[in-house]
Amino acid sequence: MSANYWESTQKRYWLFTKDELASMRQKLEEENTELVRMFPLPQPRHLAIYFNQQLLRLGKRLTIRQQAMATAQVYLKRFYTRVEIRRTNPYLVITTAIYLACKMEESPQHIRLIVTEARQLWQDFIGLDTSKIGECEFFLISEMSSQLIVHQPYRSLLALRGELSLVDEDVQLAKSIINDHYMTDLPFLCSPHTVALVAILLALVLRPNSTVPGQNSSGSAAAAGLAAAQAALSQAHSARSGQGGILAEIPSTPDVKERVQEARITRVQHFAAWLAESGVDIAAMVDATQEIISFYECYEQYNDKLTREQINRFVKARNLDK
Amino acid sequence: MNPTNPSTAASGPGSGKTASFMNARAYQTVKRSVMATFEDGRDQSAGYQPKARVTERYRIIGFISSGTYGRVYKAVSRTSNPEGIAVVRTSSGLTPTSSSGPAPIEVAIKKFKPDKEGEQVSYTGISQSAIREMSLCSELRHANVIRLVEIILEDKCIFMVFEYAEHDLLQIIHHHTQQPRHPIPPATVKSIMFQLLNGCQYLHTNWVLHRDLKPANIMVTSGGEVKIGDLGLARRFDKPLHSLFSGDKVVVTIWYRAPELILGSYHYTPAIDMWAVGCIFAELLSLRPIFKGEEAKMDSKKTVPFQRNQMHKIAEIVGLPTKERWPLLPAMPEYSQLSTLSTMQHSTHSHHHHHQNAPNRGYPLSSNLEKWYYNTINNNSGAGSAASGPNGQPALQSLGAEGYKLLAGLLEYDPEKRLTAAQALQYEFFSSGDRVSSNCFEGIKVEYPHRRVSQDDNDIRTSSLPGTKRSGLPDDTLLRPAKRMKE
Repeated sequence: MSANYWESTQKRYWLFTKDELASMRQKLEEENTELVRMFPLPQPRHLAIYFNQQLLRLGKRLTIRQQAMATAQVYLKRFYTRVEIRRTNPYLVITTAIYLACKMEESPQHIRLIVTEARQLWQDFIGLDTSKIGECEFFLISEMSSQLIVHQPYRSLLALRGELSLVDEDVQLAKSIINDHYMTDLPFLCSPHTVALVAILLALVLRPNSTVPGQNSSGSAAAAGLAAAQAALSQAHSARSGQGGILAEIPSTPDVKERVQEARITRVQHFAAWLAESGVDIAAMVDATQEIISFYECYEQYNDKLTREQINRFVKARNLDK
Repeated sequence: MNPTNPSTAASGPGSGKTASFMNARAYQTVKRSVMATFEDGRDQSAGYQPKARVTERYRIIGFISSGTYGRVYKAVSRTSNPEGIAVVRTSSGLTPTSSSGPAPIEVAIKKFKPDKEGEQVSYTGISQSAIREMSLCSELRHANVIRLVEIILEDKCIFMVFEYAEHDLLQIIHHHTQQPRHPIPPATVKSIMFQLLNGCQYLHTNWVLHRDLKPANIMVTSGGEVKIGDLGLARRFDKPLHSLFSGDKVVVTIWYRAPELILGSYHYTPAIDMWAVGCIFAELLSLRPIFKGEEAKMDSKKTVPFQRNQMHKIAEIVGLPTKERWPLLPAMPEYSQLSTLSTMQHSTHSHHHHHQNAPNRGYPLSSNLEKWYYNTINNNSGAGSAASGPNGQPALQSLGAEGYKLLAGLLEYDPEKRLTAAQALQYEFFSSGDRVSSNCFEGIKVEYPHRRVSQDDNDIRTSSLPGTKRSGLPDDTLLRPAKRMKE
């Protein structure tokens, strides 16, 4: 359904368990053993970080709306569950994903403009020929079985904003966590509203002074955040099953002004109480929280230069830019 | 790379003749040309390779219609389960069906016209409207919305494969205008309306506006199931980044266009579809479009003209809108045009045979819709005297006052007061009298003519020469009555 996630192709065809996802990827590798051997690549999360950054670079040049960018991210992820990366020119796929997502989200960009801007960024990899984008668009749509409507967590976030008494800062932080989740497997593993709730939770508990996750959060802050998030979730869980008493204070990072801190803790407790009342799958939230936190930890080992070189190597060696 | 097919008299542009006028040889040539539409231009070079080929999966029967988007063909699946083909990949040599298997499935294949015409078609990027239709049809699943079987992307062309529907409302209405003119049986009207509203409710609750509801786009299967078709103009309205108006300035075929659109509303809603449903209801009763205006064409500057004549046709029957009945009326961009309308003379009087209610100048202060309705169901101006019910009464009389309430609720000026699909379904019209059947043909003896499928594809490979029109009923609704007479 167009506006109904529960009936959507996203839920029916693009929601997987971790095992399913792993075996899909394993199958792709097995079908391409020679390529995989010849062209080693960084771990999938680091590839996802690189793709995400490249996508954002092009999006910025074209001032693409967040909604279309989010859809482009999902297209890219879906495509690469079906197609071996080493058989594609990722820069072309990224450009095409944005081109298609803009049309889908009703803010079309001219194909010529997109190619021009993409060339400014990746002139060694993108030619002048717009028909390459047109052809890649067929490829993308075909691999995604024409299932182009994507439900994003941003809507749930905005819908819950009032109910959970979130302040602007919470919403902004939650949004950037949602932005980051496109670098993880979460878009395949849980519903958009679960992602939104996890983002809200993390925004409330993971607040080492103005540190935006995914940019330069430290591992210890992430670990503290995880502990806090899990505490909140387990409280919500026990409150629901009737075991919980009064919500205990949420562990928090020390060096923050006290009053702000108190207000935030109140919101966390409010949120935990709301979760306890709701029918939300808390186990799924725990998993998703762990996924995000471990992603942030993994982010610290990311090596941009190495990743770029390894990608560019197979594109050039295999003439995929032609 | 592609050898040019020799142009034959029958397949050359401008011949426009139907298959029946051709000799057997020409017929075969054209038949091959229909096939060629699907087989041409295979590109074996590197790049995108389709997962499936249309002609491997389907046997093309012939051509159904064409429009601005491209062309529609009738076909049957070569295997008995088109949706299972992804698993059971067949070789191209497979015979249609074994005698033991279920019958091959009939489909309608919509082939989108490539942007550039000619021999060397290149990838130019898919149009936004095609993207909309592909994405929406992939999501939608409802008994009263035409079902997408699959989409095949092949040779730079998009083929959307739909379930086949033998009839459409335009055909059915047309059939009843044939002499002796006879009304559509009331039970059929009820069933069609119920199913149509049901489909609309589904679309609207899922935030989809159809934006082009008209008889030609409402399909009916041979089992009497109504299916809303052609979502080529449909759009989601749940999260527009821009106002819907800014995208496509003109939507909905003129006769079915809601007054708020005519008055230039920037924000429109599912209510525009409901107005069109009201117009369709009226047309099912009277067998002619209720508001048959003449479209003002766009001028050279591409400014959208005020559809004066269409507004005039509406006002003739339901009166001019007033701000008492429609509080936001003065806020409509074209509001000032209404005052110039009321002084307009009755220049098109001759189009109305005996329209007792239309005054010679000006418009009725209150709506004449009720009179229009009772005249229609009592056969004073409607479908002719041959029609009568069991007691010798005009058949449509059984629709009674409930029918009027539904019609008036749908043809309400104020979009906020106009019935929603959900409200309309709750109306007594559907709960009173006989049970509404999910088969609109239940209990009727009429055998409607089947959809015309022709071998007359007068164009081989680009398959979209300008000026070609559907070979069955004309596509352009404005030309519809005139063309019909010729046929």
